Amino acid sequence: MGLKGNRLQKLNNSSYRWLFHNNYKTLSTQLHYIHKDSSIEDRIIYLLADQDKGAIRLIYENYAVVLFNVILRIVKHEDIAKDVLQEALIKIWKKSAKFERSKGGLYTWMVTICRNSAIDKTRSRDFMDRQKSEKALDIVFVSDGLGREAKGEDDYFQELLQELPAHHRQLINLSFFEGYSHPEISAQLNIPLGTVKTRIRTAIQHLRSVI
Amino acid sequence: MNIKEYIASGILESYLAGELDKEEMRTVDSIASLYPEVQDQLNELRVSLNRYAAATGNLPDEETLKVVLQKIKEDEKEHFLNAIDGSETNFRRVNIVPRWTVAASILLSVSIAFNVFFYAQMMEQSKKVRLIAQENALMAQNIEKVDQQLDYAELRIAHFLNKDNVHVRMEGSDLSPKSYANVFWNVKSNAVFISVDNLPEPPAGHQYQLWAIKPGQAPIDAGIFDHSLLVQELKVIKGDVIAFAVTLEKEGGTPIATVDQTYVKGFLKKS
Repeated sequence: MGLKGNRLQKLNNSSYRWLFHNNYKTLSTQLHYIHKDSSIEDRIIYLLADQDKGAIRLIYENYAVVLFNVILRIVKHEDIAKDVLQEALIKIWKKSAKFERSKGGLYTWMVTICRNSAIDKTRSRDFMDRQKSEKALDIVFVSDGLGREAKGEDDYFQELLQELPAHHRQLINLSFFEGYSHPEISAQLNIPLGTVKTRIRTAIQHLRSVI
Repeated sequence: MNIKEYIASGILESYLAGELDKEEMRTVDSIASLYPEVQDQLNELRVSLNRYAAATGNLPDEETLKVVLQKIKEDEKEHFLNAIDGSETNFRRVNIVPRWTVAASILLSVSIAFNVFFYAQMMEQSKKVRLIAQENALMAQNIEKVDQQLDYAELRIAHFLNKDNVHVRMEGSDLSPKSYANVFWNVKSNAVFISVDNLPEPPAGHQYQLWAIKPGQAPIDAGIFDHSLLVQELKVIKGDVIAFAVTLEKEGGTPIATVDQTYVKGFLKKS
């Protein structure tokens, strides 16, 4: 899809974005190695406005992890969360014209769409039937974050991760990957709610120091 | 605002973890837009989480993205097809719409057929009218000609019958043996009339001229005349004329007769 002059004008700082629009493919491949990528959000907004499907790929590469977690907090099942993420991404694409930067950041906007999709899902008949059958079996969803098999390509990075204490990893997993809310973590790990936030922060700080 | 404290509070981690509600998130957004430090922290946090996910095999699979892109593609296709369908029905509606247009178009066709028929008829009639008009004109011309001839004939008869008229018949000369013309000379008024009876058409730029001939004198100009008019009054000639003659002269006539161009000539009967 070509660059639309009027769309370009709609956006602030357009020449800056135009520069990135040309280079976004090369940039997105290096994405995981970029520390300061303040432009990702700009690039996605630009591509969305231009109705470029590259926007969805960029969102997926940069935000799927966090958005998946947001959805999982609500639907509690990974397979359902996956479906909801799919639906939410399609909605993001369709609603892209309605995004207004003045009303908040891209992430906030996407989180709202994901949450609404997830809530819709919990109200669906499929979801309710599933809840009932699981209750009958009395299955308790317990995090086994530490037991997850690391299939990452980055062996060096994995080695570094070994330096991260297990309880830090557990906190990161629960909060950012397994959809646990702070009160849930507090209950799960038997830590006071007020402490959960600071511990998570410490864990993340540790993670960042490792990488 | 103490930004360092704000960052240290762990609110940014809560923001990314989905712990904050919409309003709280918007507050973070506005602070991040005011303080690049906060924005940087958020970006770095997100990148760290992505790296962690990559290292622990928690990255979302490529398959999900493919499905999403495929669905978007199908959706666009459907949208496009719907747009086409929509436009088709619109066209159909326009075609169907008012019934009176069908009746109107039938009436129009009938009307056109009649128009063509009547027009053809009218053309034929006007052709006939034109022909008749031509015939009429021709007839009128003929009548006029006949009338004129009759007038001349009457005029000549009148001249012949007029007791005061001396009649001179001029016979063709060697130049034009078959030619002839008549002169009537009124002895009372001395007026000279010529009756152009049989003179050849004068060549362009030439005209016939009548001469009165008196003994011992050069021919006297009796006037030029129009070849196409049968009887015309010319000049007044007095005296002892013995003969009249017609010569061919240059247009406008001449004071001295070109005698070798004499076409007709006639002598007065001696009384």
